[in-house]
Amino acid sequence: MTVAGDRSCSHCRLPIGLRAMQRRLEGEERAFCCYGCCIAFQVKIGRPEESNAAWLLIRLGVGAFLSMNVMLISLLLYVEAFSGADAKMLPWIQLVLWLFATPALVILGAPYVRETWAHAVEGRVTSSALVVLGVGAAYAYSLFASIEGGRQVYFDTATMVLMLFTIGNYLEAASRARAARDLEPLLAAENESATVVEGEGETRRPVRDICAGMLVRVRPSERIPVDGVVLEGQSNTDEAVITGESRQVAKSVGSTVIAGSINLDGPLLIQSSGSGTATRWAQICRSVRDALSQRSPTQRLADRVVGISVPLVLILGGLSVVYWAQSMPFDRALLIGLAVLVVACPCAVGLAAPMATSLGIGRLARCGCLVRDPAALEALARARLIAFDKTGTLTSGRSRLVGIESEGADEQEALARAAGLERHSEHGLARAILDAAASWGLEPVMTRDVRAVPGRGIRGNADGQPVAAGNSALMKELGWPLAPGLSERARVLEASGHSVIHVGWAGAVHAVLSLDDLALPEARSTIEALRGLGVHVALLTGDLAHTALRVGAVTGIKDIQAGLTPEAKRAALDRYRQDYGSVTMVGDGLNDGPVLAEADVGIAVGSATDLARETATLVLPLGGLWMLPWVISVARMVRRTILTNLMWAFGYNLIALTLAVLGLLQPVLAAVIMASSSLLLVVNSLRLSRLPDPVPDSVRPPDAEPDSHRHGTDFPPMVGPVMVRG
Amino acid sequence: MIYYLVIFAAGFAGSFHCIGMCGGFACALGRDPRGGTATAGRHLLYNVGRLTTYCFLGGLAGALGQVVSTAHGVSVPGPLDAAQRILAIVAGFLMIAMALQFFSLFHGFHRAAIGFGGNTLALSIRSLLATRSRAAPIALGVFNGFLPCPLVYAFAAQAGSTAAPLPGFLVMLAFGLGTFPAMLMMGGIGRLLAPAWRQRGVWLAGGFILLLGLVTIGRGVLPFATHEDHAGHASNVGHPG
Repeated sequence: MTVAGDRSCSHCRLPIGLRAMQRRLEGEERAFCCYGCCIAFQVKIGRPEESNAAWLLIRLGVGAFLSMNVMLISLLLYVEAFSGADAKMLPWIQLVLWLFATPALVILGAPYVRETWAHAVEGRVTSSALVVLGVGAAYAYSLFASIEGGRQVYFDTATMVLMLFTIGNYLEAASRARAARDLEPLLAAENESATVVEGEGETRRPVRDICAGMLVRVRPSERIPVDGVVLEGQSNTDEAVITGESRQVAKSVGSTVIAGSINLDGPLLIQSSGSGTATRWAQICRSVRDALSQRSPTQRLADRVVGISVPLVLILGGLSVVYWAQSMPFDRALLIGLAVLVVACPCAVGLAAPMATSLGIGRLARCGCLVRDPAALEALARARLIAFDKTGTLTSGRSRLVGIESEGADEQEALARAAGLERHSEHGLARAILDAAASWGLEPVMTRDVRAVPGRGIRGNADGQPVAAGNSALMKELGWPLAPGLSERARVLEASGHSVIHVGWAGAVHAVLSLDDLALPEARSTIEALRGLGVHVALLTGDLAHTALRVGAVTGIKDIQAGLTPEAKRAALDRYRQDYGSVTMVGDGLNDGPVLAEADVGIAVGSATDLARETATLVLPLGGLWMLPWVISVARMVRRTILTNLMWAFGYNLIALTLAVLGLLQPVLAAVIMASSSLLLVVNSLRLSRLPDPVPDSVRPPDAEPDSHRHGTDFPPMVGPVMVRG
Repeated sequence: MIYYLVIFAAGFAGSFHCIGMCGGFACALGRDPRGGTATAGRHLLYNVGRLTTYCFLGGLAGALGQVVSTAHGVSVPGPLDAAQRILAIVAGFLMIAMALQFFSLFHGFHRAAIGFGGNTLALSIRSLLATRSRAAPIALGVFNGFLPCPLVYAFAAQAGSTAAPLPGFLVMLAFGLGTFPAMLMMGGIGRLLAPAWRQRGVWLAGGFILLLGLVTIGRGVLPFATHEDHAGHASNVGHPG
């Protein structure tokens, strides 16, 4: 998005809303979402010598000094400490008050006046106008009253309201920076500097300047800036931000390291394998930055409400002054008007959504889950239906050996012979057979004169006997007989969507190997967890009905639609949308891109495509299916936080406004409540940064459980065909 | 009057603690190249800034005490009412908790206080120290006054227990003035004082606060306790506006 209003604040990284400020600081154009951030940012980055920050703090301090004195003197006036003395003292005391209050007002009020003016030029009225108008009125009245010889002046109210607003803004911005701290590594990416080793010397350079082949030194607890290979050193790394799994990965000479992971223990010397800007880490960072600068629908609504409410509050304040002036002295009516303006300052409403959203996005990104649009987070929180694609999403996307049917031969011998043949093959299923043999600890039988029979299989010679592996056509061609039992079982397996390989030697078919694209081990518990969250789960696949049913049985999905073309998938999504409001589609992001784009929330698991061209709005890391329930809980937490924030902000504004209009709230108290209300929202949102990490409960990462553990004929997936037969 | 003298003395003793904590700021403020008068001016400004913050806190605490105690019944001269007794007991315990810190016995409070906003303040102070502006010392003093400090909290609690803004203000004024001599001295001879002496001063301050805390609790617990001499003004205080 390049709309002028959609940039993020230099300090707190929230999208810049209606109260944008532009400042030129130390040669760079900076944008802030509010005055508080402007102060806090300058204090944080300010170089001590002649920096703006110190000057700002001095103004703040002197302003505080003056207004505290005004307050103290007024306090003594209120408790009538001077009443015993001559009443003639009063004008002098008022003069002193004026002398203190005027510079305080100038010092503290100037930024608000400037902001109001800048917005007025653009034809907008923002909340700073409320402050300026209210405080200005109180000051002008007090000045008048002291010249006229009136007893009551309200210099203290004017200065304290300003002071509280300024401090409130500052504190709020400072605590909001805690949210930015979470996001900081994600936003810095290519601008972070890395230690590049050249010859004898080491130089610090921005990551974006690093090219392939450069040597980079990474100290313990530093982030690895580029993808590469370890040349020197040993260490453990934390790759959670890329893979989502927060376990330590040991690295030594020759290991590959991923940009974005954190070097935990020892120093490493890395040879970069690509450009610093081309890493997935850099892509993630760019994607997060884009997401943060967009406003969610809730946020847009809140901004609109704020925009409308400011003029309304101005009118309301004016009306209450007019109304109360009829029944009480004008100065009291004026104070009521001031309280109305101060208390209705809609800062909190504008703050409700963006902070929670960006904390949520940052929380997810730290575990490798990318949200590309804040709206997706809100939609996901509301999702009542999640549709899965099968291949590559619920299954690993590659076949594995699931069963051996044999007659008159040893299973292991059959596998070893098949492996001996398939070792020479490039076929997709060959890999699965070799893997299975390796995990059973079998040595492939030495086979010579191997040649592929296109479309049929492969044949060769071992121990002086011909061997062949392939489909039934190959066996028929060779004239090798197939026992009727074996033939029947092969037919059933084939009908249920398995890939079947006949293995024969010495003139007869001895075994039938069945292969299948298995459901991921974590699929079942993930689906169960989703159901526990009250989400309906469906399976939409282009695959055969039998295969889909089997995967459904293993994972526990009952709502299955198979044999769908991409168009049919979209139509199915439309039907679901009518029943469930919004649809969420989970795919691998490779062949289901258009369908993911069609869904309200498209989730890609382990997408290997370029993130910039990714059609899904949410991307989980490779093998990150198990994180889906956690992602949904985070989305729901974010939504709940936004709702409580909004409820609080609106409820508070309504109650406080009512009290103020009724004349029950003093302006200073109103300013205190106003400032603390925004702080409360910030604190409430900050709870999101303490959300727990995702726990792969009872789920092991894929491939951690080799086939050898479940051997013999007890392949659990064999339940599949049985169920189909039943 | 004696009451405020006691507070002043406590502030004076406590300022040995200040030397340890805030004295660093006073030293960092250092000498003004424009000469002795300018240096004195700087330090005076710094301390006035600090004093203003203390007085403000005192007035605020007193007003808060008043709100709390009048919410539970009208405050009348003479014997203390229940709310004021409770206030005195709470304030007394707070003071004792603070005093124990001086003997390094009880640290929870300090940490809790520093956690909230302490960082932001410290950051602000650090960048102020580096500036040479003439107005910087006063801002430094103001911020310094808000730094989490058990001594200030203890006396703010005492100010709160007076249950009226004016005596609250006076308590902190007396305390703040008590810290003046030592802190002003820091500008000149600061580092000459041996750490051992400073430690003794800190214990002395702790003893004072402990005593004051016990007296304050006593006011809440003993049957015939009455308002101090400041109670005369306190009772007819009303906050117009």
